[in-house]
Formats: sequence, C-alpha cells, structure tokens
Amino acid sequence: MKDIDIVIEICGSAGEGTISAGEILSRFMSGQGFEIMSFDSYPAEIRGFGKCVAHTRISSNPIYSPGKLADVLISLNDNHAISQLPTLKESGILIYDSQPARPHEEDKSVAGRTKPGMISYGIPLNMLAHKAAGNARGMNMVALGALSALFHVDKDRFTDSIKARYGKKKQVVIDANVNSFLEGYDWAKENIKKSDPYSFEGVNLPEQKEKLIVNGNQLVAQAALDANLMFYAGYPITPATKIMEILSKELPKHGGTLLQTEDEIAAIGAVIGAGFGGKRAMTATSGPGFALMTEFTGLSVMAEVPAVIIDSQRAGPSTGMPTKTEQSDFNSAVMGGTGDCPRIVLAPADTKSCYEATVLALYFAEKYQTLVVVLLDFFLSNSIKNIDVPKKPAKKYRIANIAPKKEDLKDYKRYKITKSGISPRAVPGTPGGIFFSTGLEHNEYGRPDYSQAGHLKMTQKRYDKFNAVLVEAPAPEISAMGRGKVDIGVISWGSSAGAAREAVMAAQKEGIKAASFSSMMVSPFPEKALIKFADNCRKILIPELNFSGQFADFATCILKRPVEKLNFITGRPMASEDILQKMREM
Amino acid sequence: MMSFNDHYVIIGNGPAGNHAAKTLRKKDKGARITIISDEMIPYYYKPKLTGFIADEIAQKDLLVTSLESYKEKDIRVRLGQAVEQIDPDSKSLVLKHMETIKYSKLIIATGSRERLLPFMSGYADHLKFITSYTDVMDYKEKIQNAKEFFIFGGDLVGFKFLKMLNSMGKKVTILIYPNAFWPYNLTEDMLDQIFTSLSQFDVSIIIKDDISTIDKKDNGSYRIKTLKGVEKTVDMVFSFNGLVPDIDFVKGSGIDTDYGILVNEYLKTNIDGIYACGSCAQIYNPDMKSYSASIGWPNAVVQGEVAAYNLLGDHKVIESVGRKYFDLEGVKIKTTWWGDINDASQE
Repeated sequence: MKDIDIVIEICGSAGEGTISAGEILSRFMSGQGFEIMSFDSYPAEIRGFGKCVAHTRISSNPIYSPGKLADVLISLNDNHAISQLPTLKESGILIYDSQPARPHEEDKSVAGRTKPGMISYGIPLNMLAHKAAGNARGMNMVALGALSALFHVDKDRFTDSIKARYGKKKQVVIDANVNSFLEGYDWAKENIKKSDPYSFEGVNLPEQKEKLIVNGNQLVAQAALDANLMFYAGYPITPATKIMEILSKELPKHGGTLLQTEDEIAAIGAVIGAGFGGKRAMTATSGPGFALMTEFTGLSVMAEVPAVIIDSQRAGPSTGMPTKTEQSDFNSAVMGGTGDCPRIVLAPADTKSCYEATVLALYFAEKYQTLVVVLLDFFLSNSIKNIDVPKKPAKKYRIANIAPKKEDLKDYKRYKITKSGISPRAVPGTPGGIFFSTGLEHNEYGRPDYSQAGHLKMTQKRYDKFNAVLVEAPAPEISAMGRGKVDIGVISWGSSAGAAREAVMAAQKEGIKAASFSSMMVSPFPEKALIKFADNCRKILIPELNFSGQFADFATCILKRPVEKLNFITGRPMASEDILQKMREM
Repeated sequence: MMSFNDHYVIIGNGPAGNHAAKTLRKKDKGARITIISDEMIPYYYKPKLTGFIADEIAQKDLLVTSLESYKEKDIRVRLGQAVEQIDPDSKSLVLKHMETIKYSKLIIATGSRERLLPFMSGYADHLKFITSYTDVMDYKEKIQNAKEFFIFGGDLVGFKFLKMLNSMGKKVTILIYPNAFWPYNLTEDMLDQIFTSLSQFDVSIIIKDDISTIDKKDNGSYRIKTLKGVEKTVDMVFSFNGLVPDIDFVKGSGIDTDYGILVNEYLKTNIDGIYACGSCAQIYNPDMKSYSASIGWPNAVVQGEVAAYNLLGDHKVIESVGRKYFDLEGVKIKTTWWGDINDASQE
C-alpha cells in the first residue's frame, strides 16, 4: 500500500465548467476516502469570460493547506492556462486539448509553453466532447475521464458520481456528461503512454467515516441555524453572499427572518435592533461592508446589544480585489471604530472551525451582550474540505442570555455592575424590565451619565466582560514542543494556520526544531499562552496574508520582542512551502 | 557570427539533435535555437534504458545533460511536442497540438522507431517494443512484476534485453529470425556463435521456426504456438527487430525520402535550409553513388555537428563509415550502436 498527495488544477474560462469539474472531482475523491481541500479562483466580474481555476489537493493523509504548486494542470482554455503554467511544478503534468477548434500561433498554446521536465498529455478534448454530445460543453468531463484513466481512478464509481451530481437534471444532460467522461477515459486508456508516477490504485486510506463536503460559508450558515439564529440582515457582497443565499432558504424553515437591506449600514442596524429585541441576529459581509458597519459597531458595544458580524476578508482596501483572499482586516476588526470599544473577534483556522467559530460567536454575543466579529477570508469562505460531521451545539450554546431574576426586576438596572461585567438582560416585553438604551454613556439604569466616575466605571465594566470571555475561549492550538527550546516558533492566525502547521511538520522532518501556535480567539487574545509559547522559542516567525504584518505588530506588543514577519498579498492562500522556505533561511 | 533574427529549429532530442544545437550556439550567439522532441524526458542515454528497467541505474543517471545547461546556452527545449507537418514554403512547422512554429533553418534529427516486420503485423497488438523512455515508463512496473517473457530477437537490443531479464531472474524464450536480423542478416557462423553465447543464460532458444498463433488469455497472459509445435504461456511478448527512421511527419513536405530522409554528403536535403542527420537520414556517398543509413551514438554526434556547421554555411563532408563493433560474448557485428557511450557522448 502506498500514499498519495497530489494537487490538481483545472483552468478554463468562465462558463466552461471549470469550477463544476473541480467540484465533481473533489466530491468523488472525498467519497473514495481521500482527504481533499479545494479552492476556486474566478473573475470578480459577473459578465465576461475571465480565467477560472479549480484547485484541488487530494491526499491519503490529513492535509491542512491547499498546496502552493500543482502536480497536474488541466487546460480547458490555453489562453488562460498559459498564465497558470507558472504554478505547475517543474516535474508537473499538463493535460491539454490536442485538437483545439482553432490552430495556435507560436507560443499561444499551453503545450508549447511547458518546460523540460514537465510531462504533457495531449487529449482531443474538444473533438471527444463533440463526439459524446455534439458540442464542446463536455470538455471538462472528457478531461476528468482522461485524468481518471491516467491515474487509475475507478471508472464505474466515477461515472456513478457524475450521475449523482446531475441526478436532478434532464436525462440528456446526464448522458452528455457521462458519455463525455467515458470518451475521455477510453481515449486516454487506449492512446496515452503514461510517463508519470501518480496512481490512485492501491492507495492506503484511513478508515472510512461519514464526511461532509463543505466550504466555510456553508458551515457558517449551518452553524448559525444550529445555534438558534433567528434574524439575519445583510447586503450581498463577495465572498460572503453565499451565507445569505443559504439562510434565505433555510432560516424561514427554522422560524427565523432574513432581511436584505439597502446597504451594510442598514444591515448592522437591523441586526442590532433584532439583538435588542432578544433574537439571535447576525450579518455577513466583506471589508467594504465592514467599513460601513463600523459606524454601528460601537452602539453594540456601548448599548451592550448582542450582534454578530461575519467578515469574510478579501484583498485590498476599498473595493479592492473581490475574488482574492487576504488577511488584512485584522486591525479593522480588532481595533477599528471609535472610543475604547472592546469586542470579541474570532478567526477560524480552517473550514471545520468555521462551524465552531460561528456557534461561539452567537453564544458569546448573547451571553456577553456585545459585538462579536468572525474573521473569515475568501479562501475559508470558498475552499471545500471534507470534514467529520460537526456535533450540534449543546443547549448551553443555543440559549445563553442571562435574564434578570425576579428580585432584579424590582429595581431593574440594565447595566448593573457585576464581577464579570455581565448584567442581567431583559428583553422588550419583560414585565418590570423597562430600561433606557442609547449610544450615550450611561449609568446602571441606562440613563445618560457623562461623569468621569460613571464613564470609568462603565468602561471598566465593558472590559471586565471582555476579559471574562477568555475563561471559556477555545484554547490555542499548539504543536508538541518536545523537550527544551525550539529554534523557531511559528505563530499564525486564521486561514494561515493550516499552512503554518504543515510547514512546522515538514520542518521537523528536516531536523529543524520548530513548533506552531495559533488561536481562534484573537480578541481578547490569550496573551499568557502566547508568552509562554514564545519563551520556549529562540526565534518567532509570523506568516500572514497582508502587507504590513498587522497581527505580527499586535503580537510584538504582547511579546515585547522582535519577530520575523512573512507577508504575502498575492491573492492566494498561504502556502506551507513558503513558510518552510523562510524557516530554512532563519 | 550573430544573427538575432534567425530561428534554428532542431527536430529531435538525441545525440544528433543536441550536438547540432550545441554547435549552432557555439557558432551563432544571437540566433534563437529550439529543440523539439516528442519524448518528454530531456536528452538521455537510450542504451542505458535496460539498466533503468532493472533498477540498476536511477532516472537521473539516464540524463546526458542538465536542464541548466540549456538555459546557459539559451537553447529552448520543447519536450513532449511532436511535429506533425513541415511546410518549407512558409518555413513553418505544425506541431501535433496545432501550434505553428516559424523557422529560418531546420535540422531533422528524429532518429528511429521500432521496426515491425510485415509478417508480424497480424499479432502486432500483442507485441511490446522498447525504443524510448516512454515505452520503458509504460512497461517498467509490468516487467518487474512479470515472470515469463517471449522475445522476438531480431536485433542486438533484444539480446541485451534478454541479458537484463535473465539478471532479474525472469524466465525467457527467444525466437531468432536469422534472415530478418537487423541491421545485417546473420550468417550460419554468427548464428552458431549467438546460440553458443546465449546458451550460457537460462533461456529457451528457438531458431528456424516461426510463430503459428499468439492468443491473449483472459488473465492477460499470452499463449504462443510455433509452427514446429512449441507452446509457451508468457506474461509479456517483446519484439526487437531493429529500427526504421522516424520520418512520417516529413511526408507531403516535398523533402525527398526513401526509407530515411535523403541528404547529400553535406547532410542537406533537397530543400534549401533543411538538413537531416543521425539515424533518420540516408546519406549520399559520392564514391559509392548510393545512399546509406547509419546507426549508433558516435555517428549521430558527428553528424549533428556537421549538419550544424553546414547549416551555418560551411561545407563539411560527413564521414560515412561506422567506427565500432558490437560484441556480444564473442559475436561481433560492425555497428556503433553499442559503442561506449560514456566515451562517445561527452559534452
């Protein structure tokens, strides 16, 4: 038995079935028991024929990052695939259309641009698609068929998987896809002499478990439903729109309400309104929307109204690069806005933890009566991973409001000072639970209070809550340190954590003493744990997907020692290979 | 010499093509130089393939030159790209993946491919050939897992393959056609010598017999019957019956061919600016007034260099005599194919 770890990219133009081919491949491989992680990139513009890439990593072992370079590139469109060729490994495999509809001028074909060392397999994708279904639409399926023949994938099982994928479509659609797949499979089997070492045959696979194939957005929506979400307001924006799309169908089934607002300011306003009314409420947006919402976030903190914002980060300030990933909203999420405004920020590290983060966000928001931001990014929102089916949240996480007791309501102080900072919260309609609530600084009854002592007391109260969260915050993920100090500690957050973890594992195999640290809880930050970790590391490396090293600067303030930054703004997810290379150089 | 606008294209990535490219770059620092090959592996020692199958040498040890050396010499190498057509009028090539490439001058050095004897075409589907790295990659694992082999031993490579299988502990049967041996028919003396030398291996030798049937069985093995009633069940059947020039793509281009590409003693074809060298070429001998082909690594090296010099305007005449003898356990055949490649191919 052997292992396999392979990255396959399918590159085509929008409308050529690139993304759906990637999805079919991922789902099939997951069904066969492989670990998969896939990530699509596509043009921001809705119209046009821009470049699409479906990137899928398939492994017989656990994987934590999508892999930087591809082992296999399938070109459905040479114009686009030429620009994708630099991401193919030097010993990579190109599968291309050997009989395109039109001849290529010199250097306009991807096959002609391959480098020595690469292996290229020409398949008449266009011709076989026409043979199978009378048009070129099935080129993607022909390519999957050829791929299956080349890498010894079970033909019948894959065919069944395609039938299942298109099961609800007309028979003619199912037939066209299946026939295209089979044409590609049979042609490659008959005509291609395999020159590469990859094979899915006889691979050692872990014990089969029920797996869910999902992306981060789907898990956020599912977690919100499972965690008793009752109200969602939002304005569509890439890459968060899918959350709203799912909830628009599912939330009403759970008795909840979804409101599409005129903009993001209205959305957060509505969420705070619903939160004030005692309903679990949230919105999802991206950087530009989050910037608008900042106007309202202070109200959630000041008036102590539960509110959850999912911010799926994309590249650049302003409209930026809508379909590229980045981790550059850290400062904005943790520190943005006015005044001393403590808020909880969670940053899931992988697809699976998107579920946990969303459940916790709704729980924390309700229990601690404050704003909670969940920092996703384009990669987490859209990358598909097969995961164990998440456990539904316990009742504690679904109903968390600390309601006033009878005696509290005799002289109800909505903002009563307590040890934890949490005041019993009456929802409108609670007999005796009448109170004032505004954005103004206030006393325990909620009435405006601009006194120095009052402001200090209330600010301290808000920070007490903030610090109290740490007691039940998820513990940081720390890799086994072994005995004594390590040479390099890699500290990461959000979607970079998987790549960091993989890089550390690879570094250890190379004999580099290294360990990794990541925390889903980024505000408040588990500072003691971080300091303890760093004390055992001779050097600290902080990789993240932003230009300035926003988290690294934040961590430096905690650690009070210099750290090595590793920053990328390529629009692509963090690559373990880049972290490993940096570790070698340190 | 510097000719920035020229694009010299060499079809073929063996010793002839590579030495042509190297010579062109040495003499012309400015021109674009491109090597095109349908094989995916960079320039490699073909005679070492048997050692590679037997895992005696690693893949990296097959390679003659590093990819870096091409970069240093600014020679572009297009691998896995087959030429489908040559159009001398527009000075362009059409590749199999339908890309058109313009050239100023062209050297064809595509070497040879397997020779299928006409009387074997009836069971061609059951035969396997080893003439390239691609063939080896296709069969290596199967060869290692298989136990019994049948070889049509019609050339010297077949003997070498037999020797390799024997060293791997495989059971081998070899059928020799003395009158269809390549490159020369075997005399009775030579046949006797071969029989004697092969007898030292654990091998069944069939001579002066012929195949009656080859049937593929459901389990993937082959049942072979000869006219004289010998019956064998084997896992794989290989054919080694020499080579023929690999020049199918030249058809229709106007370049004169016989069984190889016809060139004069300067290795020039009938079309200006197009040269051919190595085992794909049939070279004119003015003394004999006839064309003859050559085989072997050292010949290919020399011809590649001469073609390059002449393409650049020189008038070098190619040496027409092979320089080495093949020696298999005392059987000597005049050829250079099995010459000492480590001597002959030094960069």
